[in-house]
Amino acid sequence: MSEEGRNAEEVRYRALLDLDVSRPEAREELVTGLHDESWRVRRAAADGLVRLPERGAVVERLIAVLGERDETGARNAAAEALSGMGASAVHPLVHLLGHADPDQRKFAADILGQLALPEAEGALVAVLLEDGDLNVRVAAAEALGRVGGRGAAFALERVLSNPEPLLRLSALESLAALRHPPPLAEVVPLLNNPLLKRSAYRVLGLIERPEVVALVCRGLAASESRSTREAALVALGQHSARMADGGRPAMYAAVGEALRRLLGAVSWVASALESGDIEVKTGALVAAAALREPRLAPLVAEVAQEERLVPEVMRTLACFGPETGRELLASMDRLSLPAREAAGQVLVDMVDPSFVPELVQMLDWGEVDLKGVAARALGRTGALDAVEPLAGFLSIPELAGVAARALVALSAGFRAQVLQALQTSLERGAEPVVLNALVRVGGTSQLPLVRRIAREASVPLRATAVEVLAAVDPSGGLELARVALVDEAPRVRAAAVRVLGQVGDVSLAPLLQRALADDALEVRLAALEAVGECGAVALAADLEALVRHPDGAIAFRAVRSLARLGVLRDEVIQQAVGHEDHEVVKAALLAGAASGGGEALALGLLDHAHWDVRAAAARVLADSREERLLPPLLNALLSETDALARRALVDAVERLSGR
Amino acid sequence: MPFDTGRPEMTAEEFRLLRDFVYAYCGILVRDDMKYVMERRLWPRLEALGLTDFSTYYRYLRFDAQRRSELETAVEALTTHETYFFREPRQLKAFSEEVLPVLERRNARTRRLRIWSAGCSSGEEAYTVAMLLLESGRFEGWDLEVYGTDISRRVLSVARLGEYGPSALRSTSPDKLARYFVHVGPNRVRVRDDIRAMVSFGHHNLRDVDTVPLTSRVDAVFCRNVLIYFDAPARQRVLRLLYDKLVPGGYLMLGHSENLINLSADFELVHLRGDLVYRRPELGGGGGT
Repeated sequence: MSEEGRNAEEVRYRALLDLDVSRPEAREELVTGLHDESWRVRRAAADGLVRLPERGAVVERLIAVLGERDETGARNAAAEALSGMGASAVHPLVHLLGHADPDQRKFAADILGQLALPEAEGALVAVLLEDGDLNVRVAAAEALGRVGGRGAAFALERVLSNPEPLLRLSALESLAALRHPPPLAEVVPLLNNPLLKRSAYRVLGLIERPEVVALVCRGLAASESRSTREAALVALGQHSARMADGGRPAMYAAVGEALRRLLGAVSWVASALESGDIEVKTGALVAAAALREPRLAPLVAEVAQEERLVPEVMRTLACFGPETGRELLASMDRLSLPAREAAGQVLVDMVDPSFVPELVQMLDWGEVDLKGVAARALGRTGALDAVEPLAGFLSIPELAGVAARALVALSAGFRAQVLQALQTSLERGAEPVVLNALVRVGGTSQLPLVRRIAREASVPLRATAVEVLAAVDPSGGLELARVALVDEAPRVRAAAVRVLGQVGDVSLAPLLQRALADDALEVRLAALEAVGECGAVALAADLEALVRHPDGAIAFRAVRSLARLGVLRDEVIQQAVGHEDHEVVKAALLAGAASGGGEALALGLLDHAHWDVRAAAARVLADSREERLLPPLLNALLSETDALARRALVDAVERLSGR
Repeated sequence: MPFDTGRPEMTAEEFRLLRDFVYAYCGILVRDDMKYVMERRLWPRLEALGLTDFSTYYRYLRFDAQRRSELETAVEALTTHETYFFREPRQLKAFSEEVLPVLERRNARTRRLRIWSAGCSSGEEAYTVAMLLLESGRFEGWDLEVYGTDISRRVLSVARLGEYGPSALRSTSPDKLARYFVHVGPNRVRVRDDIRAMVSFGHHNLRDVDTVPLTSRVDAVFCRNVLIYFDAPARQRVLRLLYDKLVPGGYLMLGHSENLINLSADFELVHLRGDLVYRRPELGGGGGT
């Protein structure tokens, strides 16, 4: 296209984007746009038509465009617009399924498939079984794969024995899309049909019958055809995804035996692991687990780039054994990041003391995530020579946590050495997590050091020292916390307030009241929690005032603390139930339920705007065990569209009706 | 204390709450079939914070004083940042051989070129673009700038450092390795200083249209394998942002498996000899630079 032509196109495109759709002429201007030579303009016109207010009239106009046989671009754009019209397009399109022109009927079926609304199921089933034109029937079969429903599935099963291969193919594909397993006897004859076998194997994978594994293995061992083997792999992946862990060893044994009969099985599985087809990859993972060939391990790990397959990747790698651990370790720095993540996690579970040298070498590599894997794995080796390298990471913020946890794990066998490493690190100003680990390993013997740190160290260490001391020496901790309440750092004051909550009592209410008015939000939030924890009922009025606070964090904690104190009044609960933050509403509902007033609250919340509040209300009603609450629950169920809230309502109905 | 906690399972409700919350923050959609991924990636956060279940973690993200920084950490954990130098060579070749000559002609008067690597992760793509500019030999004495932005602050610090290991170099030929990197350890290289000087990095949430850290419009955007994290409405918002930040006639490079079908007709498809790329048309709304 010339520069001039491109500019003219852009002008027409922009004009349609800026069109005022409320103007009466807008519809025809957009319909004209559907006929534009530029796909961008046609697209803008289709989008504009979807936004028009009079949907019924727009649908009729679009259907008229579908009938313009020589206007391919306009017809496709009209079809695109119709597929955006929702339920208002279903009836006219169902009517179009009866048009004399098969081309129009096919369009109607295609668009109904795009709409994927169950209202079209019956009409599409009728077309699938009765239309005189093969293309229209195929379109109906494909559409039913998106529309779904029991009628659709059974009708698709019926055409599996139709002599037209194209119809059988689309039926198989749609059954696969619906995840509806047809009878095995219908599928077996299709496994040898070159056109149908790939789809036939796909649905074979959905069938829960013991014979399926043997059929899949037969396909895998079919040395003459790569496509048959790949189709069998697809079925294997499908079958495996539904299989309980207990059934896997037998499946792996059968698959391994079949693959070993195949020349070059390892290279073939390797290439399947690198396939662009996710279903082939899924099956290849099962094949790799069956072969347990260490060389395949890095390729298996790379499949983790497809995030949906990560659980299967982990399961597969776990089948391999320690030799694979070394293979993974050797290739770790060349793997992609998702692969490293998956491999690292498996590696951590595989290591033994003999892995220490390689893991120590890995600690020298640059990437933080690799160092993290190595540190975690070293903690699992149970080896003394893992202590020193781990200690080297205690002063690195990104790695201190994982290294400290690894050292705590090693302290089961080497307590003195680990303590020494942690102490040395603290003397050099390590991270707070190291202090935590030290007390975890050393207990009360470390208190002098903790006290010293609490006086002089960095803010994070001071804050941690206050909490750690209270965990091992409550009275000493309380004393230190009172001092820390006037620390200049909010983080330290917040830690002190938490300690007051955990080990204090009602006598500390004045201190907590001051903390509730602290300048720092961090301290106020800690104080809200602490009031409830230590039973400072005297501060109930302060908390009640905060229930109406617009910040959900404050209101939520106020409600919870009042509930914990046992002084949450009905009036305050009502205020909380009206809060904008749904977590505050749920906290009030649960508090109300705990104090015996939950039913009325829950009934009122069954139509709350937020799905999780409705689900929580359903659970509260279910816990009441009152059969008289069934009618409102059933009523709510009728209008519930959210899947999780619906599940909660169904559970509640079942519990209350004794099912 | 955050040790020895058993790994909790994420319930469907916890998944939904966390997913919706993350989505509202940054437009990144964790699909329903990614519950396991979310559970695995966020579990270390529970461990680090000493929390025992995902409901508590959700409330931490909502209500704790550290909620903002923890939310950023959670998003970092949920986005994989997988990238490497000279990724998708076919597109890079087309960019070098067919797009850069056009940009050279267009900008001959100003002798200025701006390229944005949106969702740059740890910097490999932004540095690759800088290397391609240098290698083309077309822009000597020009005012060149490559911007890299990402939502993760952690990866940006890696990007600024410019040091990489074998995984990041798995598509880098030995001659490029010799030309553009210096060895800093047995398994580590650093991008040459003059190339690092061409690239600036900054923190940016692509959902946040008001805080793009770019003062002027750019001549090309690389936004490869980033849209995959978003659902359709969020993708449309991001594309609108990229459109607005491109000069008329500027190029948009997506990942090889990404396209704008059903997302945006704002861009025109350009058929190069070696690849397909998108371009903001010459005329159109949005005003000038």
